[in-house]
Amino acid sequence: MSTAYAEPQTIAPVPPEPEAPPRNYLNNGYGILSWLLTVDHKRIGILYLVSLTAFFTVGGIAAGLVRLNLLSPDGAILTEDQYNRMFTAHGVVMLFLFLIPSIPAVMGNFFIPMMIGAKDLAFPKLNLASWYVFMIGAGFMVWAVLAGGIDTGWTLYPPYSSRFSHTNVTPGAFGAFITGFSSIMTGLNIMATIHKMRAPGMTWGRMPLFCWALYATSFIQLLGTPVVAITLVLLMVERVAGVGVFDPAMGGDPLLFQHLFWFYSHPAVYIMIVPGMGVISEIITCFSRKNIFGYKAVAWSSVGIAVVGFLVWSHHMFVAGISYYSALLFSFLTMLVAVPSAIKVFNWTATLYRGSITFQAPMLFTLAFLVLFTVGGVTGLFLATLGTDIHLHDTYFVVAHFHFVMVGGMVLAYMAAIHFWWPKMTGRMYSDFWSRASATVIFVGFFLTFVPQFVLGYHGMPRRYPNYPAEFQVYNILSTAGASILGLGYLMPGIYLTLSLFFGEKAPANPWSATGLEWASPSPPHVFNFEFVPVVKCGPYEYSLNVDQLGRTLPEPPGPMAPNTLKETNGVG
Amino acid sequence: MTELPGLADRASVVADRFEPLFWYIVACTSIGTLIVCVGLVAFCTMYRRKRGDTISTPRILGSHKLELFWTVIPLIIFLTFFVWGMWVYDGAVHPPADAPEIKVIGKQWMWKIQYPSGQRVIVGGNTDVMTDEERNLVGAFVLPIDKPVKVTFISEDVIHDFGIPAFRQKIDVIPGRYVSTWYHPNKIGEYHLFCDQYCGNLHSRMVGKVKVVSQDDFDAFLREKADGSLAWEGQQIFRKLQCNSCHTPNAQSGAKVHPRAPSLEGLWGRDVPLKGGGTAEVTEQYIRESIVNPRAKVVEGWEPIMPGNYESQVSEDDLTKVIAYIRSLKSGKQIPNNEKFPPPDGAPRDMKTPAGSTGGSKP
Amino acid sequence: MSASTHSSVLKHHFDNLEQQHSAEKLGMWMFLVTEVLFFSGLFVAYTVYRHFYPAEFAFASSHLVLWIAGVNTALLITSSLTMTLAIRAAQLGKRSDLMRWLVVSFALGAGFMGFKAFEYYTDIHEQFVPGSMFQTEYARAVEHVAHHSAAAGDHGGIQHWAIELAENNKGKDPNSEGYIFPERVQLFLCFYYIMTGIHGIHIIAGLGCIVWLMLLTKCDKIPPQRYATVEIVSLYWHLVDMIWLFLMPLLYLVGTGVKGH
Repeated sequence: MSTAYAEPQTIAPVPPEPEAPPRNYLNNGYGILSWLLTVDHKRIGILYLVSLTAFFTVGGIAAGLVRLNLLSPDGAILTEDQYNRMFTAHGVVMLFLFLIPSIPAVMGNFFIPMMIGAKDLAFPKLNLASWYVFMIGAGFMVWAVLAGGIDTGWTLYPPYSSRFSHTNVTPGAFGAFITGFSSIMTGLNIMATIHKMRAPGMTWGRMPLFCWALYATSFIQLLGTPVVAITLVLLMVERVAGVGVFDPAMGGDPLLFQHLFWFYSHPAVYIMIVPGMGVISEIITCFSRKNIFGYKAVAWSSVGIAVVGFLVWSHHMFVAGISYYSALLFSFLTMLVAVPSAIKVFNWTATLYRGSITFQAPMLFTLAFLVLFTVGGVTGLFLATLGTDIHLHDTYFVVAHFHFVMVGGMVLAYMAAIHFWWPKMTGRMYSDFWSRASATVIFVGFFLTFVPQFVLGYHGMPRRYPNYPAEFQVYNILSTAGASILGLGYLMPGIYLTLSLFFGEKAPANPWSATGLEWASPSPPHVFNFEFVPVVKCGPYEYSLNVDQLGRTLPEPPGPMAPNTLKETNGVG
Repeated sequence: MTELPGLADRASVVADRFEPLFWYIVACTSIGTLIVCVGLVAFCTMYRRKRGDTISTPRILGSHKLELFWTVIPLIIFLTFFVWGMWVYDGAVHPPADAPEIKVIGKQWMWKIQYPSGQRVIVGGNTDVMTDEERNLVGAFVLPIDKPVKVTFISEDVIHDFGIPAFRQKIDVIPGRYVSTWYHPNKIGEYHLFCDQYCGNLHSRMVGKVKVVSQDDFDAFLREKADGSLAWEGQQIFRKLQCNSCHTPNAQSGAKVHPRAPSLEGLWGRDVPLKGGGTAEVTEQYIRESIVNPRAKVVEGWEPIMPGNYESQVSEDDLTKVIAYIRSLKSGKQIPNNEKFPPPDGAPRDMKTPAGSTGGSKP
Repeated sequence: MSASTHSSVLKHHFDNLEQQHSAEKLGMWMFLVTEVLFFSGLFVAYTVYRHFYPAEFAFASSHLVLWIAGVNTALLITSSLTMTLAIRAAQLGKRSDLMRWLVVSFALGAGFMGFKAFEYYTDIHEQFVPGSMFQTEYARAVEHVAHHSAAAGDHGGIQHWAIELAENNKGKDPNSEGYIFPERVQLFLCFYYIMTGIHGIHIIAGLGCIVWLMLLTKCDKIPPQRYATVEIVSLYWHLVDMIWLFLMPLLYLVGTGVKGH
């Protein structure tokens, strides 16, 4: 008895499982050099994956030490100086060495060509160069942070960072400068690829929303990163040559640094979150078996965020000494940039309506994202509103807000992406139970860590304080307790994902029964992605019609099954 | 452990305006978030796939009406935040024209506060490394209730931030440029004062207390802060009567103009030789006599050219202040005779503020 | 064209040459956009300070060596022309012409760097460098004008610019109109060196690319199908030239024709 589908085009049988090729991208050449000199976008994605995991660990350890110190109002384990270096290390490593590359460098590199039906990115050698540039920049930054540290905060405001700090500001800034080029290269590559290398039939309107999101991200990377590059150059020159570009004693203006810095660093937060939003679109459609609600709205909202995101930078400077009218303007514009994100959240939620929903790990991470990103996003409104920002600025309210969007949003989206595409990248399935468990632990731990910080911020506890008045202690303890749970939650995937590499069940080509082109090739993929030229027949997310983008019938999706469904006939199992 | 109150302390007019706005945004955003969460939970429950379900989903592509709805409504709500926020902000950053002005200088890692009548207080800092003079000045930022006051800030070194949670206001304090805000305290009590812009090692120690007190207590505070107040007022009189045109400081004595009168720095308690023999110890009495009856005792090596009519120009009160000033004069401390409008103590000298923006410099 | 030439030109991940050239050109244009943004940050910072301190910037600018800037402009514009001619030669398969135009472009660009080096040498020799060199020279000048009259003509071996600055400031209160703050003059110089320095680095990178093209030409690796390689280097070169066309007036022509306010 076949299952019934709405509006069937054809009740074609599910295509046979593609034969695992003898040479996939993983076993096509062994040895360290075959990896270090590869130009295969998939291997470069894996190189990034490994390095980013290492940096995430370093940044996470720094975070752990910061939170441990805050257990006591007098600073439990670190001196003031050590604490200042620790929170700077956490910020610098997490932002530049993890969040900014994260999804574009790992999943963007790996999957953009596959999703649009291409053999590689437009510039494979540039892609490899981008990893090396990234590692060189990371080398400088990590050295700066470990060999004595930097104590300026990741924001590096002069005159403190240029004339007063006795720490490794110059190598740290230089490292950030270098990794910026990696970001530019990746963005350039992705944009050129999407423009020029789409498979026949893959129009802009049929591109997966992940591609739209990465396109918008690349736009931001290209335009914003050069500005922070020159800002860092000016800062380094000031520090090294003793001149006064930002120093009032020598005619300079410290606010100029802030303007130049935030002109990049605000769009940078959209570099971090927009790819995550792309991932959510992919997963929520697959695990509810429905088309995305409002494809055009979601696609254009990514572009809208990218464009309007360049117009709001001064909202980081409301109390910094900008003029009254400037503040009004930027507050107004910031209200505008909040709208596209809201549109996306509503569209994703509406996608679930009348779906057929299962809750494997990618979906659990996605649902967690939806809750946490919404909270994080709305708390941004408090900071966009002038009257409330003058109180909440530079307090734990801001810290909680950006951790909600960056960790509750972006890191969870990254986890969702890893769990979604792991079978495709590695050819292995991981433990369903432990992955769902880790999503739950991370969600709970996250909540406990950061909700108390909103309370602290409302009461005025400043950020970047190694010690604080005693009445703030209770909430700090709660936050640290949450952080330990969160740490445990991050450790779990480290374990079960690694174990899956050796003991995991071999993954079929399309374990989630997803529609994207990347699922049409075996797991792990063929060296050149496809053995045939994919010809795209329809849009992404045609789950209701049960066809993938090549027009072929989808296999049975995983999850609770009807008793008589045709699992046997599609060759999976 | 001491507890945090549910609602944070409010002690200023701006705080009273902040609070309803804040909770309004909390309400709106909570409702929005709740709608999303309820939607998620509801849909995930209602439409979860169960054993025995056939997988059949409708091909819903979207709805222009809904898109418009949830674009326009949030935008309108956000704009209400903007408008209300603008109103609160306007009230917080525009001082009334006639408010008295307090000067605050931020420096790593203390706040140096100077009241209009000259009293000085230092808040925060590490008392171990302070000078004796500074340590004497450590205290709280005292303000009288219900009296609007403008505060002007500048930094001596890096960017700081003067934040008072109970007032719901903060302002970045930058080097090279004066910035101002104002406070209208309306509740008596003691509140936190924090530095809210990371400024280095002891950033978290650049903290202290704001004390809002009754007018009487405030007057008492001003009187009690004698150090600096009487002497400062004496300095104003010294300048007003142009004593400094003859009694130049030591530093200028080597310049072209031959000094007409001895420098008064470091004079207190010394024995000075008198014309015609003998010495006198520099005491309050001696100084008083030197002002009202300058020919009585003339110091050896100087001419008796000091005008004798000061007695009619200074009251006893003034004399007390001038004596306090002269008493406080250590070497190098006397104001030079071309100084008309000195910046607050400790501010970088020779500040030029070009129209619109920064521009501090040292020639 | 032989099959092997054809296949070595078309890279494995592209479907056809047209797609490849199109992608490469798009890639270069995107890179040029990033370069524009990079220099824009500098231009914005420079413009902000020039707006604040017109007198100091006019003073500093008037002491740069203008004739070198003029020569450099001519060299660079000509090199853009010769690079375009190189593209044409590549398209027509004229290998010797291509080589010639590449060599000329290189020579013009190297000439630019040569004059730049000479200009820097002159500036440094005159102590016209922000930081201790400037400050020391200025202090000497202040000392000198305090004791000698203006018309004397004997500058005691002190640089002309320092004398002029010290003369201008002699006896003036810093708060008065017409005083020229030395540290703001140094701020101009910071921008002068940073902007021309970074531009110079870009020229050197461009020269490297031209040498690479020369090597490829020598090994006969630029058939007409591969003219796009010459074109994308030429695009980069044009941008570097264009940046100079903005940079030069901003730095060298401040206040010329206008009495310093």
